[in-house]
Amino acid sequence: MLGEIKLSEGLREYLSKMPDLDLDLLLEAYRRPLPTSFRVNTLKMDEYEILEMLKEKGVSFKKIPWARYGYVVENNSIDLGKTLEHMLGLIYIQAPISMVPVEVLDPKPGERILDLCAAPGSKSTQIAQLLNGLGVLVANDISFERVKALASNLQRFGVLNVIITLMDGRKFPRFAHECFDKVLVDAPCSSLGIVSKNWGIARSWSPEIAKRLSKVQRQLIVAGFDCLKPGGELVYATCTLTVEENEMVIQHLLEKRENAVLKEIDLPSLKYRCGIVEWNGTKFDEELRKTIRVMPYDNWAEGFYVARILKEGDS
Amino acid sequence: MKLLSPRERKFLENRLKGLYGVEEGFNDLVLIKCGRGRIRATTKETLELASRLRGIQQIGLYVMKISNGDISLSVEGSQLLNDEIKENVIELDEERVEKWMKAIPIKTETTYHGRYVIGKFNRLYLGSARVSRNGLLYPQIPKWRRIPIAKNSE
Repeated sequence: MLGEIKLSEGLREYLSKMPDLDLDLLLEAYRRPLPTSFRVNTLKMDEYEILEMLKEKGVSFKKIPWARYGYVVENNSIDLGKTLEHMLGLIYIQAPISMVPVEVLDPKPGERILDLCAAPGSKSTQIAQLLNGLGVLVANDISFERVKALASNLQRFGVLNVIITLMDGRKFPRFAHECFDKVLVDAPCSSLGIVSKNWGIARSWSPEIAKRLSKVQRQLIVAGFDCLKPGGELVYATCTLTVEENEMVIQHLLEKRENAVLKEIDLPSLKYRCGIVEWNGTKFDEELRKTIRVMPYDNWAEGFYVARILKEGDS
Repeated sequence: MKLLSPRERKFLENRLKGLYGVEEGFNDLVLIKCGRGRIRATTKETLELASRLRGIQQIGLYVMKISNGDISLSVEGSQLLNDEIKENVIELDEERVEKWMKAIPIKTETTYHGRYVIGKFNRLYLGSARVSRNGLLYPQIPKWRRIPIAKNSE
């Protein structure tokens, strides 16, 4: 039986103003547990062999169409987190929409990539897998405790070409200006896309939280952009729904850096909608339609916002 | 963090050959000392970029620990060397691999040379276990990646 979920007054009011949002469907998505999904680690073993090992354990799964090496579990007969395959790093348990930002970033072997807010490392390991041992991944986080988890996950995944740094991401351009081919800014956010993991998020949300986070996110995206080489690409992502933490952050970057250009995102079979271009009477750049909003009920998984930005100039 | 000197690297290669029959070793990789005999491996390009950065916590993969000339390979260290490892290997069946990953001691009748033996399950290498005089192997699986032991078992 589905339980009752409580939204704070502020959140209910905020969501009621959002265009293209079905509150009943959102609440239904919040009540449902997230699907269990995983990526197969091709740095360690052949994809087919790992899948066969899981099948022998009675795990059935189907391919996630928008994520290379991603699978969603169809029967929750065993706890994947306690399997040999997980402990040896042959699989990485990661929610399905969380795989989207790195697919949009599309790392290529040989590139230098910065993951500015990397812990606990789901997306870092995904980047490392697509680099396939060539190029370098710099995985940074501001929290010492979270860096420990990041280090463990990168070790278990078998990543050789990685540097783990502990730093406020906003300070990165001081020594890594125009240093990277690609940058991922998976920014800390108010997490309204993953309320099904923790209903407390919806109970305690307030507009002040979104405003406070928005300020940090704006600084992080500019810092990440400044670390890009000309011709490089940045992906900005959050697992939240508020305009302050999403479109307004991108709008801020477009105003601050005139060589920032939004690019289209195209992922097969993923259901999503375009970014919002008008909010509370303020009109944003029409180009923001190129960013994507994934609502939790679009794919009955997490909610996410993703933007892909090119730094114009000769590489 | 310091790079292994050519002399230290030569010593390490000789020990890997003597203990595990490894001929090529970590040929293309850079090896870094990171305290208490621990060695990490990475690529040259990674090390080059690291020289530009600040706030570095770790570089590359933890691959082994050297103590009094004995080498204990981490899970990833043994997987990197893979079939280069020819000696001091114990083949595990499903029951024993479960024990290995729970760090439960495993009884063995075989005599091994050196203080460590490397576990193998099908084609997968699982790092080292310490060989004790009483015929038990103590798998060196760090706590954070052990399969949890269910209550009322073992």
